[in-house]
Amino acid sequence: MLERLQNVDRRIIYVLLFIVCFIPMANPIGIPLEVNETTQMVYDIVEGLNPSSDKVLFVMDYSVGGSADVHPQAVAVAKHLAKRGIPTVMVAFVNDGTMFAEQIITSLGDQVVYGTDVINLGYMAGMETAVKAFVEAPKTAFNVDFRGNSVASQPIMANVSSIRDFSFIIDFQTGQPGYQDFLRQLPPGMSYAAGIVTVSVPNVMPYLNSGQLSGLLQGLRGAAEYEVLLREPGEGSARMDAQSMAHVVIIAFILIGNAAYFLSRNKAGGPKA
Amino acid sequence: MRRTIPVLIVSGIGFLLLASYFFNFAIGPTDLDGISSLITNWGVIVAAFAVGLASVNLIRIHSAKVSRRRADWIHSLALLLTMAVFIIVGVYSKHNPDSAGAKALFQNLFDYSYSPFGSAMFAILAFYVASASYRAFRARSFEASLLLVAAVLVMLGNAPIGALIWNKFPVIGNWLLTVINMTGQRGITIGVAIGGFATSMRVLLGFDRGHLGIGD
Repeated sequence: MLERLQNVDRRIIYVLLFIVCFIPMANPIGIPLEVNETTQMVYDIVEGLNPSSDKVLFVMDYSVGGSADVHPQAVAVAKHLAKRGIPTVMVAFVNDGTMFAEQIITSLGDQVVYGTDVINLGYMAGMETAVKAFVEAPKTAFNVDFRGNSVASQPIMANVSSIRDFSFIIDFQTGQPGYQDFLRQLPPGMSYAAGIVTVSVPNVMPYLNSGQLSGLLQGLRGAAEYEVLLREPGEGSARMDAQSMAHVVIIAFILIGNAAYFLSRNKAGGPKA
Repeated sequence: MRRTIPVLIVSGIGFLLLASYFFNFAIGPTDLDGISSLITNWGVIVAAFAVGLASVNLIRIHSAKVSRRRADWIHSLALLLTMAVFIIVGVYSKHNPDSAGAKALFQNLFDYSYSPFGSAMFAILAFYVASASYRAFRARSFEASLLLVAAVLVMLGNAPIGALIWNKFPVIGNWLLTVINMTGQRGITIGVAIGGFATSMRVLLGFDRGHLGIGD
């Protein structure tokens, strides 16, 4: 029995995990969520922006693999920016990002006027080289936007002559180019926040602590917290219940495995040499 | 010559770009900053061509697999057909921006096939992680026990259900992340930066030529 508990068939784990993820997705439980300080920082920055004078650079650097974690963050922040009427320039240095940008702009519907309130500049290849090229000349980096319109003729780009014309930069990313590439290329003193996948959160902490990052959205939880602040539940909140239950299952199996290990060790007469 | 010219190009361009971060002076009709921007733009163009080259290479390899009926050739055929659909629809919609149908088709292909399949590929990892955690997190030693306890505390601190079980779990998880983890990560980041600097100098000075495909 103890041996079996230490070697549970992985298919049982897979099925249980699937069930505990599926049920809350179909029938949300509504586990209360406390908002993290780093999410509050991003929200406060957006709340403090002035619609008549401030512009935001919205960087879509995530691929489809990490989109389950990061896309709900981007949707929530885009909704907030649209609600406040903050002009938003979207750009991507990962090829999938530009398609997610179009998805978000379409979902905002009549809340935004393309070309005046929002623009999707498109994708630029080259990783950090592309980031450097864009930071040096944001207005001329793209001749046409993703939809084929001349960038210079768009009202939203009228007063953009340098990267410092963006009051706030938020970068949604799953890998490269990431926050390190931007922090190397941006001039000092710019307000820069990131939305990242949960597994990258430990790596980002030094940059947050030093003040190089003005805020951080931590994975799916960051999206759910932002939706709580917006008072508009969305994909993030819907999936957090499933994530919670999945955590419980994983922890339960870890504890069962360890309990069986210790009991079998005591039964065998103490630790082996 | 075959080794020297590429090394000279790498060193010259590299030191020029490095110098532009510290100095700026006139060079002919332009200045160092202007030359640096020009080279950066060349880099973007080369990267764009590299993306195209990668696609051509992919087509070449998988076409050969299909034509010679090698193992799993049917998957290569699926890849080539999918690529063709995306390329045809994408190029058509790009050159016909007024065609709402083409634009909608390309977006729908991304939203309803590429994106869900890509997400699913990574979602499968969740099951592997669950199974691997169950097998790997055994308190066989002091260090393993420490890892186990830290992992459980951070998981419970991150999941909303942890706060429901005990309101101190988020506090403990956050402390582990922002104090213990951060100090370690800071050391790693500084070490990586110093190592990266040393490697960069080796490349710029021509001691390391692996990137040129000609070895040391």
